Amino acid sequence: MKFLNLKTIALAATIFASGQVSAETILRYATISEPPSLDVQMGTASVASLISSHMFETLYAFDAKFAPQPLLVVSDKVADGGKTLILSLRKDVVFHNGQKMTAKDVAASLTRWGAHGSRGKVLLKTAKSIEVTGEYEVTIKLPEPNGAWRAMLAFPNGGPVIYPADIVTAAGSTPISKENYIGTGPYKFNDWRPNRYVELVKFDKYAASPMPASGLAGKREAIIDKLRFMPVPDVGTRTSGVQAGDYDYAEFIPGDLFDDLSKDSSVKIHLNGAPIFGLMFVNSKVGILKDNFKLRRAIQMALNKEEALRVSIGPEKLWSANGSFYSKGSAWYSEAGTEAFSQADPEGAKKLAKEAGYDGTPIKLLVSTNYQFHYDQAAVFTKHLAKAGINVQMVVVDWATLLKKRGQPDQWDIFFTHHGTVPDPALITAMNDSYPGWWNTPRKQALKAEFTGTADINKRIATWNKIQALIYEEVPAMKTGDVFSYNIASPKLKGMLEKSMFWPNFWGVSM
Amino acid sequence: MDFITSYSVRRTGAAIITMMAASVIIFAFIHLIPGDPMYVLLGDGATPDQVEALRHKMGLDRSIFIQYMAWLSNALQGDLGTSLFFQEPVLTIIVDGAETSLLLAAITMVWVVLIGIPIGMIAATRQGSAIDQTASGLAMLFASVPTFWVGLYLILIFAAWLGWLPSSGYPSIFYDEGGIANLRYLLLPSLALAAPNAALILRLTRASMLDVARQDYVRTARAKGIHPRQVTIRHIFRNALIAVVAAFGFTLAALISEAVVTETVFSLPGVGRLIVQSILRRDYPVIQGVMLVTVMLYLVINLAVDLINRMLDPRVELD
Repeated sequence: MKFLNLKTIALAATIFASGQVSAETILRYATISEPPSLDVQMGTASVASLISSHMFETLYAFDAKFAPQPLLVVSDKVADGGKTLILSLRKDVVFHNGQKMTAKDVAASLTRWGAHGSRGKVLLKTAKSIEVTGEYEVTIKLPEPNGAWRAMLAFPNGGPVIYPADIVTAAGSTPISKENYIGTGPYKFNDWRPNRYVELVKFDKYAASPMPASGLAGKREAIIDKLRFMPVPDVGTRTSGVQAGDYDYAEFIPGDLFDDLSKDSSVKIHLNGAPIFGLMFVNSKVGILKDNFKLRRAIQMALNKEEALRVSIGPEKLWSANGSFYSKGSAWYSEAGTEAFSQADPEGAKKLAKEAGYDGTPIKLLVSTNYQFHYDQAAVFTKHLAKAGINVQMVVVDWATLLKKRGQPDQWDIFFTHHGTVPDPALITAMNDSYPGWWNTPRKQALKAEFTGTADINKRIATWNKIQALIYEEVPAMKTGDVFSYNIASPKLKGMLEKSMFWPNFWGVSM
Repeated sequence: MDFITSYSVRRTGAAIITMMAASVIIFAFIHLIPGDPMYVLLGDGATPDQVEALRHKMGLDRSIFIQYMAWLSNALQGDLGTSLFFQEPVLTIIVDGAETSLLLAAITMVWVVLIGIPIGMIAATRQGSAIDQTASGLAMLFASVPTFWVGLYLILIFAAWLGWLPSSGYPSIFYDEGGIANLRYLLLPSLALAAPNAALILRLTRASMLDVARQDYVRTARAKGIHPRQVTIRHIFRNALIAVVAAFGFTLAALISEAVVTETVFSLPGVGRLIVQSILRRDYPVIQGVMLVTVMLYLVINLAVDLINRMLDPRVELD
């Protein structure tokens, strides 16, 4: 009896020390925050896109070279000079509720995205019709051709993911509730426990694209049984959690840990291939900078962006003082206007500001502390501008306050945000006339019409060069340089892309 | 009705008035904070039309007074509303977080009692010795060091280097795989949280015992030839305990606020982290609900401490 008791105690102690062993594989991903709604048609939060990209699919997906390839469609036909798009759908796609995907679901999803989606209005708000023209065929009629349509239908962040028609129609302008997270992806929604985790499980009936895997396009195969996304806001905890084996992946690790973690055998560095970049939007609606392009150029002239990147990010591998809105190697890379990117010339700026009639009026720079690099760069820029005699007052708030205040034109002259790499320049927020900053000059409108009015890629690239040059001339927003964020992974994860494209994806990954 | 019962009834009446006043202050202050939960929900690219449509759907376009009255009326019926962010009942979210926070507080209090009182007693009975000086020095150190710092070092040593305990998180002992063994997730956080509080109780026990030891009745007891151990326990420790128990009330209440940092560092799904995240997201119903429950908890703890003190020492005046 005594022996039995000792044995029981020993067994209990072993379980207590190690936890229970389970046969199924669970990937534990430490996210920086809890996601808002996972209805990505309606929101653009990165953490929501990361999770939902495993559950929901778009009609097209980007391959490793960022070219859109068919995913839920088989083929497409463009008619009427680019105004009519006929999409033929795959017939083998099944939703997580067992229902087959048909043209009705696709038309309903695109209709909602065009009417209420974060990015849908750019392409589909003025669409003449989105019609079911066959059980597996949808026809979209646009008032004008739009050369970026495939890229827009492929971009999952705030993108046109496909839901069953009844769900998406009932939801309308409100976010879809979690019991209706029904998609076509290799993982399906299982559970969301507030403050603890969002869990997805392998979808056994997933019908993969017949095309070979490349980037986000082609065949997707769920190998790991469960993906669990756990909010771990503290970066120290995320980092030591992967080192200790409590998490398998952790995102947004700061630059100052990069060198140490590169030498640490308990973790693998996973770089994000597509950089994010700081953007300082200038108020084009009211205030001292409203239409004073010369004063805006004076501000840009005073800034030393390289110094701000070094101070805010650290290791040189993690940043690039690149003035182009795209990285070298991208078809959209352009040097037009970039000589004005980082001149670090306070004397020249002082002279130009005087010519622009600047009288020392304080310029309100709205910045948040939630993103450390925003605040650090803004602090460095404020010093650069002081040297040029330009009086900047930093208005430091938290992110939720900034989102509210930036919609109130009288509250700021410049606000700091950041932007991810988007597959087509039409998706850059500065191109959106109603985005805070409200850049809407006649020259912009003319070039924008030229840019979206053709599907010819060479013509579009040529026009984008002109738009980028105009951005440096009218300065609706100031790019502050590329930042390559990085994540850390457990060495036991196999099969990940060498660098993530927009965010990490775990189909095709084993452990 | 005996004195204790009538006193408790009176205190409960006062507590209800305090909670009503607190609810007005909490509601008003939360809505005074700039920021908009709609943008947090819809993201960076939301248009003003989308924001207004969602605001209307969630009833946030009504006047603050109407919103307060609606919330109060529901709260009085036990419905604290629905989280804007999670779209789940606030009460469910709080109950889920309370499991973590209450267990964390309970284990922390065990550490505080096990470390603070015995070492405080030993230090007092060996005043000036090496043991006393070491204990007092360490107590001073842990009382001064921030909880997050202790927490990060505990993670580094016991989780990252030695791999003995999990670094963070807490799966439920009721709903998740692992059951009771999941309590191991709370060992490091409770130690981090216990460090400054155990130091405080240690110093208080020591000081209080030294103070009581100088009283005449202790000298008399010793003169009567009572065994020194009996004098220490029956005459000194028992009387010193009154001040220590009073401090336990403050410590338990302080744990609620200190847990905010600990729960963040150890990524625990408790009420402390919930309130911080809810403030950042402007999730008004959750903030209001958590604050109200916290105020209630403070009032209950204070009442309990007063009653326990009265039981320990009938001379204590309750009014």
